[in-house]
Amino acid sequence: MTIVHFDWLSLKDFRNYRFVEIALAKEGITLFIGANGAGKTNLLEAVGVLATWQSFRGAPPEAMVREGASQAVLRGQVSREGRSVLVEAELNRLGRGRLQLNHQAVRKLQDLRSALAVTVFSPDDLELVKGGPQHRREYLDDLLASFGPKYGAARSQMERALKQRNALLRAAKGALRGAMAMTMDVWDAKLAEAGEAVAQARQELVEALVPRVAAAYGRLSRWAPGSSGEAIGLQYQRSWQGGLLDALQAARPEDLRRAVTTLGPQRDDMVITLGGLPARLQASQGEQRSLALALRLAGHGLVTDQGGSRPVLLLDDVFSELDANRCAALAESLPLGQALLTATEPPAVSLPLAARARVAAGVIER
Amino acid sequence: MYAASVQELIDELGRLPGIGPKSAQRIAFYILKSPAEDARRLAACITAAKTKVTWCARCFNVAEGEAGVECEICTDPRRDSSALCVVEEPRDVVAIEKTGEFRGRYHVLQGAISPIDGIGPDQLRVRELLARIDAEGVKEVILCTNPNIEGDATALYLASLLKHLPVKVTRIASGLPVGGDLEYADELTLGRALEGRRELA
Repeated sequence: MTIVHFDWLSLKDFRNYRFVEIALAKEGITLFIGANGAGKTNLLEAVGVLATWQSFRGAPPEAMVREGASQAVLRGQVSREGRSVLVEAELNRLGRGRLQLNHQAVRKLQDLRSALAVTVFSPDDLELVKGGPQHRREYLDDLLASFGPKYGAARSQMERALKQRNALLRAAKGALRGAMAMTMDVWDAKLAEAGEAVAQARQELVEALVPRVAAAYGRLSRWAPGSSGEAIGLQYQRSWQGGLLDALQAARPEDLRRAVTTLGPQRDDMVITLGGLPARLQASQGEQRSLALALRLAGHGLVTDQGGSRPVLLLDDVFSELDANRCAALAESLPLGQALLTATEPPAVSLPLAARARVAAGVIER
Repeated sequence: MYAASVQELIDELGRLPGIGPKSAQRIAFYILKSPAEDARRLAACITAAKTKVTWCARCFNVAEGEAGVECEICTDPRRDSSALCVVEEPRDVVAIEKTGEFRGRYHVLQGAISPIDGIGPDQLRVRELLARIDAEGVKEVILCTNPNIEGDATALYLASLLKHLPVKVTRIASGLPVGGDLEYADELTLGRALEGRRELA
């Protein structure tokens, strides 16, 4: 198993950091402790930007530039199999940013993905279980995108066809006249073609995830009284039945009335059940947290096995939300590799730490 | 900032496709610095082209002359009228002509179906295309719209109209650039090229 890890990182004018440079332990957990607002999550966000060219908090680039500065610069050296790669990201308050691998501009994000990958665990992950279906679709789409460019292509085709179909539905104002009906046939066909590919890929992914999620959840809830032995169900739920093309054509009167496409992969969901009941509505807060963690662990495991290298783990404040039993279980089930963990205080359970550092007001001390 | 007439020139140039405010400014000052004769010639060229050039009455490529005139390709008797190549824009005709591989005639749709931009079949030269099939004895229609989703959708639309007519309908293939290296091809093109592979005899 190839281990991918950061040797060092430097942040300049990023969020609340003026300048900081840190060396990182190659394997195992590095713990960053600090008060709220000290900049712990900002540090993980910076690593995330280097790996994915976007903020896992959904922040626009200009929001990540330090107040009073016009440009933030992130640099990191990534090693895999003895080779090292320099990743550099430049975020500008005005204008476009720049991303470089070994001083060469990155033209395709796929090149970045194949150089390094991260798995992010954050308190917002609860939304995977509790939130709307868009969070679960995004979870699946992000995993699929990391397996290669084909899925991303199918998805952007689908989105484009969907936009065109919706534009035509709006232009029709309730009824198709003249050549419009045949044009609608064409967009139905294009949407169905790309949409079937997207749904099929997501469904296969969900099937591959089922045993992994169940195993991870089982490990996490081992000590939680009352929750052991409850079966996890994970099912990709399409918003249509049969072939997508037929379904789109059957839904046309309704779509025309509402001037929007009412079914397709953009309306699908991944239904999570616990003991046969929908986890979104029926599971307890603690169970939902464990499920969200299990989903991340499962995704991480799958990416590790399929990609042949272990993504860097970014664990943002995950222990504070869990009871002692679940903390201990998570600590045990954390996969090997480099992991960066943040917390406001030392975790209640003993963790095998490779290193620890203190974060305060944009300064990191070992 | 600038004298009104200079600003007006910059604004007009900036409305051209592919020209941003900086380029517009550069071109404007280049024109102002060049001899008056050059500027007059440019202006005359633009007006002359605009008055002389019209759309070919048959294929809707650019043509020179009064309205209703036909272009050089449509009036060339050596052209094979049984093969008709359908493209989106006049510049696509030029691209295919450069290959020297096609001796048939063209039909320029003047766009592709795109509801987002408010373009449907009625905004394109589709009716005119259908009228030509029988009138000119076309045996094969080659759909050479762009290999993007709008071009594909347009080709699909035309194919469904043409299937009722006694004519063979083909779609241009997508694949790898000749003389290039596999490693430089983007994944999508390479994937499509793999899908469209052919058996060697």
